[in-house]
Amino acid sequence: MSGEPCAVIGIGQTHHKSKRLDVSLAGLVREAAARALADAGLDWPDIDAVVIGKAPDAFEGVMMPELYLADALGAAGKPILRVHTAGSVGGSTAIVASHLIHARRHRRVLAVAFEKQSEGNAQWGLAGGKSGGMGAGGIFAPWIRSYIRRSGAPEHIGWQVAVKDRLNALKNPYAHLKIADISIEKVRDSFMLWDPLHFLESCPSSDGACAIVLTDEAGGRDAAAAGRSPAWVAATAMRSEPTSFPGRDAVRPRAGVDCAHDLYRAAGITNPLADIDVAELYVPFSWYEPMWLEGHDITGPGGGWKLVESGETEIGGSFPVNPSGGVLSSNPIGASGMLRFAEAALQVRGQAGEHQVDGARTALGHAYGGGAQYFAMWIVKSSL
Amino acid sequence: MSSGARSGPRIVTNTVEFPYRRSLGPVIGTFVAALARGQILGVRSGERVLCPPLEYDPDTGAATSGEFVAVGPVGTVRSWTWVSEPNARHPLDRPFAFALIQLDGAGTSLLHAVDAGGEGEGAMRTGLRVVPRFRAEPKGRTDDLAYFVPEGAETTDPGVVDGATLAAVGGEPRAPLEPVETMEFWSSLTYKEALSAASERYARSLLAGRLLGQRCPTCAKVYVPPRDFCAIDGIPLNEGDDLALPDRGVITNFTIVTPVKYPGQKETEPFVRVSVLLDEVDAPVGQRAGENDLPSPARRPGSEGAEGQRTGENDLPSPVRQPGSEGTEGQRTGENDLPSPVRQPGSEGAMMGLQPVVDVSNEEVRVGMRVEAVWLPEAERNADELGNRGWGSASGAITGWRPTGEPDLPVERYIDRVF
Repeated sequence: MSGEPCAVIGIGQTHHKSKRLDVSLAGLVREAAARALADAGLDWPDIDAVVIGKAPDAFEGVMMPELYLADALGAAGKPILRVHTAGSVGGSTAIVASHLIHARRHRRVLAVAFEKQSEGNAQWGLAGGKSGGMGAGGIFAPWIRSYIRRSGAPEHIGWQVAVKDRLNALKNPYAHLKIADISIEKVRDSFMLWDPLHFLESCPSSDGACAIVLTDEAGGRDAAAAGRSPAWVAATAMRSEPTSFPGRDAVRPRAGVDCAHDLYRAAGITNPLADIDVAELYVPFSWYEPMWLEGHDITGPGGGWKLVESGETEIGGSFPVNPSGGVLSSNPIGASGMLRFAEAALQVRGQAGEHQVDGARTALGHAYGGGAQYFAMWIVKSSL
Repeated sequence: MSSGARSGPRIVTNTVEFPYRRSLGPVIGTFVAALARGQILGVRSGERVLCPPLEYDPDTGAATSGEFVAVGPVGTVRSWTWVSEPNARHPLDRPFAFALIQLDGAGTSLLHAVDAGGEGEGAMRTGLRVVPRFRAEPKGRTDDLAYFVPEGAETTDPGVVDGATLAAVGGEPRAPLEPVETMEFWSSLTYKEALSAASERYARSLLAGRLLGQRCPTCAKVYVPPRDFCAIDGIPLNEGDDLALPDRGVITNFTIVTPVKYPGQKETEPFVRVSVLLDEVDAPVGQRAGENDLPSPARRPGSEGAEGQRTGENDLPSPVRQPGSEGTEGQRTGENDLPSPVRQPGSEGAMMGLQPVVDVSNEEVRVGMRVEAVWLPEAERNADELGNRGWGSASGAITGWRPTGEPDLPVERYIDRVF
């Protein structure tokens, strides 16, 4: 990686719930940011710049919340920048923050992402306030049907991912959904929300925020010397494409393929399945685990669902995916991408607690958004 | 909903409304709770008192103390601006000032409204001393603090009182305040959108009972509706690239949506939305013209679709025959009076997304099913729901797509084609 090395030295997140009625929007982002600052051993004045991200403003009805939240994030007199790439925004926000370090523009950057779904209704927002909203699942369901047909995957693959991620969530104190008696039968028997997606194959609506503190090589080495191991950003990549055009392959979008290959090349990864120790993939609907395993060429065509079926994507498997419980267990939309990036960093820092993957030294954080048209990914490592 | 004059761009008016529910948090929640007692609270942050109170010091981001301090009731106008024509969303229905008011005892200013009384704008000045007026019947909202008036002014508004009056009925002033947890905020936005030239041609076409697409001459992809650009080649297209499309096709994929309740949601039962690949145009690369497996021509003489199309043509120009461009070359007259869709090698698309179905149950909908559009009677058609974005909505002209009864087409050929 050319430019200044970038280290993640602070990570914070809220306890994600369907309704955080106890906190204001400002209180929500501050809860995550204060935890990240404390984790980094820093205070508000130590931060040089703030980068903030969230999904569409219609979800909470606060237009340009970055203005209202600037003071709450200690940004008075400092640069604050808002990023927006739909559901992938949390990942893009982390990447933009890392670029400010790589470019030697700032030495310590706070990146924050959030959503407070309880203040509004995401389906209303996505429908532009009109009747007959499809919801995100309604847009993705046909592509999932297409994937199932194309790959020949058996229907239990989706149920299996849904169970795995909810079991992982039981090990994550911040996760929203805690379904202790989750089972294949329970997922299969839950009602059909967006055919072919069952209710329990879908993400929840959550209130929550995530924050990370990024710094330069000197800051990262200082943190390491103080016993707070950093996660080093080895590579970042972003890509986008139009939602809809004739001949688009929405199951395996070109932007996602290009983004992944750009990322692997920059990180020196030649065999993602072998070179990456753990992945936090953006999987809001169960089938997206095998779809992205294949869509980002981590496996070959049809290899994604076979990896799931073999149990290799569980904690303890050869390629653990979403040990945190993933988007299927917590979905504060704007923050969901950053949570993937932060959880990847937690893994290589060895600080993922009960959901730690043993020996994780290289981790993938991933987010996608819109009509599977925005992609953001990073590779973090335990050493520079 | 309204449509503009035929000569100018069609204006589509949209109103979106939603009752957002704000979580006030411990500080603003306490501030609002105190308003019901006719009391304005600040919060201590270091040496100064912030009013309005915040969870954080706006200068540093540091957390505030949580120690509340009653401020005012008299305050000083630090700056102001006059609103001579209030709108429905403003706090007063008569001319008023927005002012930054520093309440006695506070180190920061509160943005609020001042009713300057009969003297109007002439009464306003920086340094003016003002006092609050509260809703006589508090609702646990920020606007329980109604507005300010110049000190000594009479209250003529029957719905508001001064703080002392409210305090007398507001309960024990020293009893702990229970913070107000949430507050509904009714948000309403009306916006007008002028349809682009491409959307306008699409709208006119739908009103005339025809579907209209646009074919990129470079990549041969067909967009529905016309966009006047090709997303793949990044080149402008124009009405010369427009293509009349058949109103028959094949369901390539679908979703059955279980509706969630939200304001404005009319759906209550699971409903289907399908992607429809229209006939005749599509011949993906690798499939030569003539190899398409469609069973029948798109436009059947005497079919309802054709009737509807013919009816519309008397009062609206055809998609490819705009005023001033009469007699477009290659356009046949006669029964169909529209250019036939030209199938060419490499042509791809003519897909309509998120379409409703009619005359078929949710369970029967499947990939490969042959369907045709069901048009509203011409008099009932409208372009109210159209805009400049979208994936081929024909809402207002087509009620949905119904099975033709023809044999299904092969699933594997179509299932990957989703809008």
